[in-house]
Amino acid sequence: MKINRRFFLGIGGTMVGGALIVRPKKARAVRKPKAPSDPYGCLMDLTVCVGCRKCEQACNRVHGLPAPQVSFDDLRVLEHKRRPNVTAYTVVNRHYTGKLDERNLLIPTFVKVQCMHCQDPACVSACIVGALTKKDNGAVHYDDSKCMGCRYCMVACPFQIPAYDYHDPLTPQVRKSTFCYDRIIKVGGKPACAVICPVEAILFGKRSQIIKVARRRIKNDPGRYLDRIYGEYEVGGTSWLYISGDPFEKLGFLDLPSRPIPHLAETIQQGLFSYLWAPLSLFAILGGCMWTFNRKQIKGNSEPERMEDNS
Amino acid sequence: MSLRMKPSKIGFLVTTVILVAAALYSTLAVTVFKSRTRIDDFVSTAPRVAPPSAPRPWEARQSAAVQRSVEVVPLVKEVLRETLSQRRARLGVKALQLEDMKFSYFLLNNPIIKEEENLYGTVRFMHKKHATLLNDCIICHHYRPADPAASEATRCSACHQTAFNPESPGRIGLKGAHHRQCMGCHKEWNKGPVGCTDCHAKNVPAHSELIKLTRKPEPTEVTKECLRCHDAQANEMLTSTHWLWKGPSAFTEGEEKRIDLGKATKTINNFCINVASNWPRCTNCHAGYGWRDASFDFTDKTRIDCLICHDTTGTYKKDPQGAGMPDVNVDLIMVAHNVGKPSRRTCGECHFSGGGEDPVKHGGLNPSLDFHSTSSDVHMGGLGFQCHECHKTRNHKIAGRSLALPVAEGSRTCEDCHTAVPHHGRELLNHHLNRHTEHLACMTCHNPVYAKHNPTKAFWDWSTAGDKQRKVKKNEFGIPDYNWRYGDITWEKSVKPAYAWYNGKVRRYILGDKINTRGVTLLTEPVGDINDPKSRIYPFKVMGGLQAVDTVNNYLLVPHLFGPGGYLEDLNWTKAFADGMAAAGLSYSGQYKWVETRMYLGLPHEVVAKKFALSCVQCHAGLKTERSCGRCHQDKRDVDFKKLAFQGIDFKLAHSKESDTQDLLHRTYYIDFEQLGYKGDPIEFGGRFKKLPLGWRSASKKE
Repeated sequence: MKINRRFFLGIGGTMVGGALIVRPKKARAVRKPKAPSDPYGCLMDLTVCVGCRKCEQACNRVHGLPAPQVSFDDLRVLEHKRRPNVTAYTVVNRHYTGKLDERNLLIPTFVKVQCMHCQDPACVSACIVGALTKKDNGAVHYDDSKCMGCRYCMVACPFQIPAYDYHDPLTPQVRKSTFCYDRIIKVGGKPACAVICPVEAILFGKRSQIIKVARRRIKNDPGRYLDRIYGEYEVGGTSWLYISGDPFEKLGFLDLPSRPIPHLAETIQQGLFSYLWAPLSLFAILGGCMWTFNRKQIKGNSEPERMEDNS
Repeated sequence: MSLRMKPSKIGFLVTTVILVAAALYSTLAVTVFKSRTRIDDFVSTAPRVAPPSAPRPWEARQSAAVQRSVEVVPLVKEVLRETLSQRRARLGVKALQLEDMKFSYFLLNNPIIKEEENLYGTVRFMHKKHATLLNDCIICHHYRPADPAASEATRCSACHQTAFNPESPGRIGLKGAHHRQCMGCHKEWNKGPVGCTDCHAKNVPAHSELIKLTRKPEPTEVTKECLRCHDAQANEMLTSTHWLWKGPSAFTEGEEKRIDLGKATKTINNFCINVASNWPRCTNCHAGYGWRDASFDFTDKTRIDCLICHDTTGTYKKDPQGAGMPDVNVDLIMVAHNVGKPSRRTCGECHFSGGGEDPVKHGGLNPSLDFHSTSSDVHMGGLGFQCHECHKTRNHKIAGRSLALPVAEGSRTCEDCHTAVPHHGRELLNHHLNRHTEHLACMTCHNPVYAKHNPTKAFWDWSTAGDKQRKVKKNEFGIPDYNWRYGDITWEKSVKPAYAWYNGKVRRYILGDKINTRGVTLLTEPVGDINDPKSRIYPFKVMGGLQAVDTVNNYLLVPHLFGPGGYLEDLNWTKAFADGMAAAGLSYSGQYKWVETRMYLGLPHEVVAKKFALSCVQCHAGLKTERSCGRCHQDKRDVDFKKLAFQGIDFKLAHSKESDTQDLLHRTYYIDFEQLGYKGDPIEFGGRFKKLPLGWRSASKKE
């Protein structure tokens, strides 16, 4: 068989094309859903939160985080938008959406920001050593003994939550909300932020149940709430759910697809390796090439004169 | 055998031991007594109020509220699902009324709230007030149990208990229910407290583990240890009036924009006159250490005395002449380990003993408030209020003002809690009483006599001081009427206050002002007038005295009284005035004479409940006749008007309980209306702005 450029491209193209056509079907079967079946969740009612920062205080206390420079009673910190960081796993931000009360004062809406504990977390997918895992109770759990500090999770997180101990050169950790894993794993245990909330703006319970509660609240008071539960479908669903009277876009919430973030990357990755078709086809191509070359060489050795004749 | 002793020997030994112990004890007692003795030790014989044995009605009310607050009732699982309008329609005329209310006062302190977090203290809830103001019970009692036998208005904790109960998902817990109901309504109506510490005080964490002090620390070392965590609080303290003894004088007429007036500078009284040159004695009440002279550094945080306010042990005492330094016997480490919120006792440590000893200066602030006694004060005595529950404190600035001092870091009034219509309920009298609040301060009726349990100084004549030979008599309270150091001092107990119009502003004598040469110089005087709608009639203690004036410069003189070279040691007025005026920064001509001064002191404390308040007839003698009330209320035949008009304090009873009220027994026209500018009793001659229907006498005169 004569192998020329056209033949090589033809063979290669057919095989890659074939692989591409076959891939999606196979991949769907390959990628297992990460979401636990009956996890806990927290419903945050943004129409109730008064922005007292008690949740920050409770979080700080149960995690043994360093005392903040500004006291938790000082609400002036709300004047600037903050992000969770290594010393604060949760922060409350104040947003003015333009709503006015009867005294023509802007009505603030407070949003608690923390790890959303995605049902299908991108950070878990990105972690190459398995330091981050999604637990059955809903927590995205971080195991610092496994972490090697690559910080892929920080890049992967769509909410930009994980923070890194940059100031600690020897034993740095990735830090984010723990969902009070150590507390909720016990019977009757509740996250510290939910327990301390004076107005119970945070409702803690089974995710399926609190979605029902959220739906009921929206249905019973449609003037108060928008008909949307943020986190129900976003990035495949999150453990932290929000209901609000203001559009979520005005409150610093990202507009995210309902497809889990790891979906595309993991499908490609897992699709490539399912049934070992990729290496097998590579070997097949290489084997084919070798066989063709070998045959050509044998043929060439036996008929040198003819070539000369042809020339 | 040798180990045994004869009985006589044992007896001898025991006696010896007892004698030695007694001797030791007496020496110890003498030392302790000496260290506790103040310079005004002559008043230590003043009778003290013993804590009453049996609870009185208001205490019973408080203890019942405490008991109710900790009850946990079974959870109501099912509620009747109906909207407010459905419920109104269902109840119809059977709607809940004020009269259905069982309890008018609650404490919100359910153990359910504190199950997980216990950051804050108990909340006092004025149930009746809210019910009266809202006049619709089902706004708060928004659902009723599905059980038809249950009460229409069940308590909050019957339905709202532990949060996140999986059996009733979505039903909020008790803490959330309280907060949402209270704050939601307060925000919506823009009335009532919404901040955390507006309703309940923070619990103080145990400091015994946090504080690290070595043995026998200096007071300033204790403060340094406090500063390790509380530097911000120290900065707040540095600008507070309790530290500077001067501050904004927003309520002093003509000096509204000054910030330099105060005890530390130019305030003068007719007790011990002024701080200048008398520092170590006067500044034993300063919330700092070592203000011995004018050079005290008011920027030095380590000199702040945290413990005088935050002591909870009751053992912290200041040395009476130590310029604010604590007594040497105080165990500072123990006190520091037990710091907490201020209490009546810590505030009283200085404020009850204004003027040097316990009941001296303020008519209505005395240690009887520290004991639970309803008859002296309904809030502190009856309901166990601490000072800071009314005198709300923010950033170490304590709200409240006084007549005696110009400084004020905020203002508190009875109306802050009780509203301008404080007589809740639908009793016949309440309408009339609520009309009174436009013209009278609450204390006018609810504080009929001041110095209820302890005598207080009424007149201080410094001019007679210095006579060591004079024979000293004891007055009816067992207090010497004369002391060669201080002169003649008159004491009074259970005194009828002086009444005057007061609009909140004070006219004040400031050091260096010219005195009133035509009569009595008023050091403080309430500003107000019968024609000023903002003025109301307030009760006052009027303290009189004779004090020295510079005959050339015509201003009051500051004597150097205490310490070496002071008058109390040398009995030399000329030198005392020269030293005192030099310290005060004013010239002294060398000539002095004695003039009479008077100062008004407010009586906002010692407020009593309606049972002990003035009755109608005590001021309006015209109501003693049967027909007065019945003239308008002709349809109320079943009402005993006489009983209504007479209900209130019974001075006869008070007198029988050793209260010095004999002179008040048969007193009519308790308030002197003519002196206040009325033509006569307003119900007969008409009020200050309009004639009342009962003004029949003036009307008949016109005819």
